[in-house]
Amino acid sequence: MDPAGVFATSFARDQSLIRTRKQLICLILFMVLLAVLPLLVGPRLVAVATSALITVVVTVGLQICTGYGGQINLGQAAFMGSGAYATAVLASKFGFPFWAAIPLGGCAAAAFGFIFGLSAVRIKGFYLVLTTIAAQSLFHFLVLNLPQSWLGGSNGLSLEPAQLFGYVIDTDRSIYYLCLVFAVVMVAGAFGIARSRHGRDFVAVRDDDVASGMMGIDVVRTKAMAFLVGSFYAGIGGGLWAYYVRFVAVDQFTLFHSIWFVAMVIVGGIGSITGALIGVVVILSIRESFISLGPTFVQVVPWLGGDVVFATLNIFLGGVIAAFLIFEPRGLMHRWSIIKRSYRLWPFSY
Amino acid sequence: MSEFLNYTINGALIGLLYALIAMGFIVIYRASKVFNFAQGELVVFGGFVVWWMITSIGLPYWIGIPLAFVAAALFGFAIERIFFSRLVGESVFAMVMVTIGLLILLRGLILVLFGPQVRPFPIIFPLQPVIIGDILIPRSLFIGGMITIVVGLGLSWFFNRTRPGLRMTAVAEDHQVAVSMGISVKRSVAFAWILGSVLSTLGAIIFLSGKSVSFLASEIGLAALPVALLAGFESIAGVLLAGIIVGIIQGLVMAYVDPVIGGSVGNVFPFIIMLVILFIRPTGMFGWKMVERV
Repeated sequence: MDPAGVFATSFARDQSLIRTRKQLICLILFMVLLAVLPLLVGPRLVAVATSALITVVVTVGLQICTGYGGQINLGQAAFMGSGAYATAVLASKFGFPFWAAIPLGGCAAAAFGFIFGLSAVRIKGFYLVLTTIAAQSLFHFLVLNLPQSWLGGSNGLSLEPAQLFGYVIDTDRSIYYLCLVFAVVMVAGAFGIARSRHGRDFVAVRDDDVASGMMGIDVVRTKAMAFLVGSFYAGIGGGLWAYYVRFVAVDQFTLFHSIWFVAMVIVGGIGSITGALIGVVVILSIRESFISLGPTFVQVVPWLGGDVVFATLNIFLGGVIAAFLIFEPRGLMHRWSIIKRSYRLWPFSY
Repeated sequence: MSEFLNYTINGALIGLLYALIAMGFIVIYRASKVFNFAQGELVVFGGFVVWWMITSIGLPYWIGIPLAFVAAALFGFAIERIFFSRLVGESVFAMVMVTIGLLILLRGLILVLFGPQVRPFPIIFPLQPVIIGDILIPRSLFIGGMITIVVGLGLSWFFNRTRPGLRMTAVAEDHQVAVSMGISVKRSVAFAWILGSVLSTLGAIIFLSGKSVSFLASEIGLAALPVALLAGFESIAGVLLAGIIVGIIQGLVMAYVDPVIGGSVGNVFPFIIMLVILFIRPTGMFGWKMVERV
């Protein structure tokens, strides 16, 4: 809801994303902060921020597929991987520039995801989960067993740094800006999709596919579309990842990674683009602090051993997924909107 | 010819082992309508408890193994109390994601409790193989296969013929309907988890006897998925047949196709079977025909 005194007088106004002058100012300040971030913090944090931007792209895609479209997807890492491999092959074997290779990688991932989206047309619930898990293992099998000259097999693929007008993008900062540009475009696109006709179709099919079919929505097309869009985002994220790490291997895209993405969506809030962003930031910052505090912690209590970081990370991830689904299935975003609402209504209760 | 028979029979017995693990999935599904992705972790947990009781503490087999079953039952009950008693009537998404969260959580818990080391598992079944004519069969698989068939037929009788079993079947059909018929969903779900956890421990004993146990052994949980799917998630006796079919196919593919193609088609083949089933007939061979289609 809007603060007191703000009324929409037209449909366009009612649908607008930026509703008040303060929101506009906050958004501009936030963008400025993102733009100057690499100048303010050290290289370690710039690396974390870069991987956060890539994760944002992938997670927003998952949010569209699962949160808006209602199609449970545990293969997002495989779709990301297919995008990363496609980008790497196009860039290293065919010499495509990055601004063509990354979107084409997205398209390749979309095609791969679309195949599995077709199964969503026939089945739902946990049968769909099984299919996306099968996508995950099929992806591994294909990469490892196709001829090594195609996808590099178990050795992985490495690629040259991206170049733009002779400028080589290989420092931490320049890659950060590359990812920032892509992430901003993709997230803005996601907001657009969410409030477009397709976005409304997704929500309708998620809430009740029989009823939305009765209202004239093409349910089959909508479900396939949800997978298509979701895996396109994953593919773009994968392409950025390929240019960021400049090395693509199959163990960067496991079922475990997919579960991290789903956890981010659940924690942030299912059915909200902003929720996906919040989920990424919250989960990644906790994970990074686990990883960076781990060695110190192991020194203090040595009897736990070095694997305790990995183990506690697992317990944290599993616990967070279960706890949020049991206690706050609508995620942090829902909490936030409750707080915002009560603040705006104060001192009245309605 | 004897080579072919050898591969077939060993494949069938490995398939029966998969069937035993898959039975864990099915029992939990049959009594609570929850599909438990953490089955492999339950197997590893059971394995570690047996290792702990027998190798670490040094209890004799006839005390250690029953105690391990009791511990597994308590563990299953605890999982139900902590997670699933709060989720009665929730959406499929919530249920599935909680079991996936459980998978990750248990993996971390096992690492913290028992460490990442590979532990030698006690030799519960003698190591010398059973030899019938020219055919060599590992004894643990042979005895395990017999146990699986007995347990499978027994559970099938329980769920299809006795009153408590039918009550749980009603829960699997629909939580709301079951509650309105005066059936306690929570009790049924608790029983499902206890049974599933005990079955996993049994599976761990047969699977790991004389081998070593580490948290990587949970792979068997995913390997058993295609078997459960081929049988259909509601049929306990059917899972025996499905296990034998998948096991024989996998054994023969590994023996005759892998050397030709190179690589590990045999290990992925069950997943290919799974995809084919999902596309053609998601209810499996004996499942209830109520998969929602659009």
